[in-house]
Amino acid sequence: MSFTVNLRDVTLKYGDSDALADVDLTLEAGKIYGLLGRNGAGKTSLLSLIAAFRKPTTGQILVGGEPVWENAPIVSRVALIREGGDFDDSDYVKAAIETGQIRPGFDTDYAYKLADRFELPLKKRVRELSRGKRSTLAAVCGLAARAELTMFDEVHLGMDAPTRDAFYKELLAEYMDRQHTVILSTHLIDEVANYLEEVVIVDRGRILRHEDVETFQGMGATLTGQADAVDAVAAGLEVLAEQRLGGTKSVTVATRLDAPTRERAAAAGIEIGPVGLQDLFIHLTEPGKNGA
Amino acid sequence: MAALANLQLPTRRYALGVSLPGEALKYFRYWILAAVAISFLGPLALSRYNDIDLSTWFYTANVAKWFTAFIGGGFLAVLVPNMIAVGLTRRELSVSMGIFGLLWSLSLGAVVFAGIALERAYYHAMGWSQGIDANDVVAPIGSWSETLGFAAVYPLVYLVYFTAGALIGAASYRWEGTGWLLLVPVIPIVFSLDNALYNTEPFGPGWAGFLGGFIDDWGRGVVLAGIALVLAGLALATHRILTDIPLRSKKA
Repeated sequence: MSFTVNLRDVTLKYGDSDALADVDLTLEAGKIYGLLGRNGAGKTSLLSLIAAFRKPTTGQILVGGEPVWENAPIVSRVALIREGGDFDDSDYVKAAIETGQIRPGFDTDYAYKLADRFELPLKKRVRELSRGKRSTLAAVCGLAARAELTMFDEVHLGMDAPTRDAFYKELLAEYMDRQHTVILSTHLIDEVANYLEEVVIVDRGRILRHEDVETFQGMGATLTGQADAVDAVAAGLEVLAEQRLGGTKSVTVATRLDAPTRERAAAAGIEIGPVGLQDLFIHLTEPGKNGA
Repeated sequence: MAALANLQLPTRRYALGVSLPGEALKYFRYWILAAVAISFLGPLALSRYNDIDLSTWFYTANVAKWFTAFIGGGFLAVLVPNMIAVGLTRRELSVSMGIFGLLWSLSLGAVVFAGIALERAYYHAMGWSQGIDANDVVAPIGSWSETLGFAAVYPLVYLVYFTAGALIGAASYRWEGTGWLLLVPVIPIVFSLDNALYNTEPFGPGWAGFLGGFIDDWGRGVVLAGIALVLAGLALATHRILTDIPLRSKKA
């Protein structure tokens, strides 16, 4: 069993300012979601509400069809792992892992297996860990929670590239083994793009877009070929990014290509690929854009 | 927390509450052992130069009140983010803290009770007088029954200090920067009732005992009832703050 998430007309205020405003969002169970947004867009606030870390100012939040606030059978199966984790810094790493046993579903053996794989020093205190190791500890606790809804909020910060890669692979393996709902909030968009099934973009406290990855990728295209030919086809289209290597050029456009343009591109020997999620995200959340 | 293995959802709040005194004891074990050692060996060392007419355990028991308040507040402030992040509800945490406070106060009260009784025998064997500093006069605690009666209320006193500490801890977490201001009403009330109970010189910030002037003439039973009433109020206030508490955002 995995959890659905429903937010209905949710607003969260900090003082007079809206961190989130009039948010309606439905996430189906058993998928991997990417939560994207610029700094301060409201991603962490959104995740905090879903995990009942805080209460909305107005609106309703249902997880697994039930109100999440103070609902022990639900929150015990929801895991939100924030950057660096929520640990008692004076605890030993071993004790910090064992604290997860508050959750009836926590898999201690799996946690130790992961701790061993990621070379976590069990006998060190949490405060003695490097930022990367601390993030890894948080990720390990999140995976071992065996929750029905697991959310990672920038948990990769400080991890080196091999550790991040190993974490993503482990996350996917755990997901394949036991289908559950996963939300990944990250700025390293291209790194996780291949793992995502749907993407939610938050911008200035509102849900800007919620689509499956294919829909996003169909919103634009990447044209690669001889520079002159690419420039000719891209003329008049909205260009998001371009790269050039010798005579070869690659241009990302935020325009769905119509049939005549595709034919023209093919005739000119231009390869057409999907748009990069990161380029599209930058385009959609550009200051001054309304997201349309 | 190794004691938490194989928890069941309906009973985990109780298991957590029962495990916490052990965690606190483990964390502060050397401090506690040092306090016990000093309480018994201190008078022995001092007796070479002075007459011993004051109970060292009385001072140890008083220090333990502030220590207990620190435990209540400190543990709560640490446990709020720690436990909510691992899927405990605030109500469950409130119940766990209640059990923790009760067990901690009973255990510490029992240790102090035993310590004062042992000290009585120890002082008697050494030919010393076991007294307390009662408003500038050293007053002997009294007979065995008076000594035991004197020591018997410590669990209740520790519980009220624990709860006061928990309230300040919850408020400090809830209202970062201003929550500690709850100290202003809480300390004088608890401190004055405590001083009225023992009719001694204030042990701690003397100004905080200013309410003593109004309650010094109350009988012991009325003071005890007042402490119980204040305890209930503190527990209710802590529960109310705790069950609505948001987790703070992480700082970069």
